[in-house]
Amino acid sequence: MTISFGHTALPAKQAEILKKAIRLEWITIAFLAVSVTLVFLVLGNSQAMKAAWIEDLLSFIPPIVFLVAVRVARRKPTVKHPYGYHRSVGVGHLVAAVALVTMGSFLIVDSASGLLAAEHPSIGSVELFGQVFWLGWLMMGVMALIALPPVFIGRAKMKLARELHDKVLYADADMNKADWMTAVGSIVGVGGIGLGLWWADSAAALFIAGSILWDGVKNIRAAIEDLMDMRAMTFDDAKPHPIVDQVDDYLRSLDWIADAGSRVRDQGHVFHIEAFVVPRHPREITVTQLDEAREACVDLDWKVQDIVIVPVPELPDVVRDPRVSSHR
Amino acid sequence: MNTPAIRALAAAGLVLSLTGCASQFPADPDGTLERVTGGTLRVGLSPNGNWADMTDGGEASGIEVTLVEEFADTIDAEVVWTEGGEEKLFTDLAAGRLDMVIGGLTDTTPWSEKAAITKPFDQVTTDDGATRKHVMAAAMGENAFLVELERFLGSQESAP
Repeated sequence: MTISFGHTALPAKQAEILKKAIRLEWITIAFLAVSVTLVFLVLGNSQAMKAAWIEDLLSFIPPIVFLVAVRVARRKPTVKHPYGYHRSVGVGHLVAAVALVTMGSFLIVDSASGLLAAEHPSIGSVELFGQVFWLGWLMMGVMALIALPPVFIGRAKMKLARELHDKVLYADADMNKADWMTAVGSIVGVGGIGLGLWWADSAAALFIAGSILWDGVKNIRAAIEDLMDMRAMTFDDAKPHPIVDQVDDYLRSLDWIADAGSRVRDQGHVFHIEAFVVPRHPREITVTQLDEAREACVDLDWKVQDIVIVPVPELPDVVRDPRVSSHR
Repeated sequence: MNTPAIRALAAAGLVLSLTGCASQFPADPDGTLERVTGGTLRVGLSPNGNWADMTDGGEASGIEVTLVEEFADTIDAEVVWTEGGEEKLFTDLAAGRLDMVIGGLTDTTPWSEKAAITKPFDQVTTDDGATRKHVMAAAMGENAFLVELERFLGSQESAP
């Protein structure tokens, strides 16, 4: 069965990666279900544990958003939705980011007010297998247990995010990779309580809340810039996507084209491209030439989904190649 | 996440390991257990039926009073009783003027914001069939004392 994103049939390699990514996200959800339950059982009165637990709960959002978005993005474009459903990825990205910012801010206020009010967290004893011991030991044990798996899951997802050009998957992987710090943070907080340092707990919670807020702000910025049709960037927003130059270079290499420049927006997994070309002899271009150029561009990369080629007498300012300074 | 965050975490770990010479784990921020051991245990008593009562002559009695006195014996402490309404007692507890409060409290007590609520030491079924778990209250965050008290309460025959 071919898997497609809208009109774009995924190449075999990407289809395989998509399957892997979907499987990894289900593994993530299963892991989170276990860790959220474990942490809930030992939550107690520690603010740091509460913050870590809420972060775990929030970690459900990106995998769910990813699974929903890839499903929606597969739908074929219709008359009502002529651009297809790829934007579902951007919408999901924004929703996840807003949730992070909201909870991060809430936890910062919550933890800071606990710190200012000098609340002394109480953690009592627990009886397990006939032994009575301090519940704090159990908290630290659980956090140590769940600290590492997300790091490995995150690393695996990061590779897939690059291949699939999926920013939700990237954001999710990025958060997973930093997850161990939340666990260590709450171990430090609970350990601090154990040493009689009542403030250590709220301070650790503030640290965790800060990291949630930071994740949220970073993701909101990236999501909004994509929804604002910023030029297409690589999956980690590090640099402009190389496809743009590839398309321009290809078009310039055609002998009937004097100059070319394109406007590329990231629809989610795939790009929509408006390529402006300046023909050498404006009266001699044919529909066949335009169509062949279009097909050739689509063949360059699976991410080139919709491309329109527009002959113009002069390139618009926004697509002028900064590498070539000879233009006015 | 970024390197400043990792550094902050490392610094926090260092501070903890440097101060890690506390004699108890968990330790009391205000040293309650150390102070009451071999000293005086200040207990607030809010009269409540068979659980806790006080005569005009200042003689405390009741199921919880007996438990507290037995607990005090285990740590070689002398009990000093203060009778009062719950609001006054819990305010005193939060302010550090009392070490614990009794008075027929259950695990659904609304005072859990102001005090550390212990594990239940008894469970009774009321006339309307509801189960009520009886607890005591200790000062917030005095975890060594809380664990010591819970160890004692948990070892009671009546503990659920």
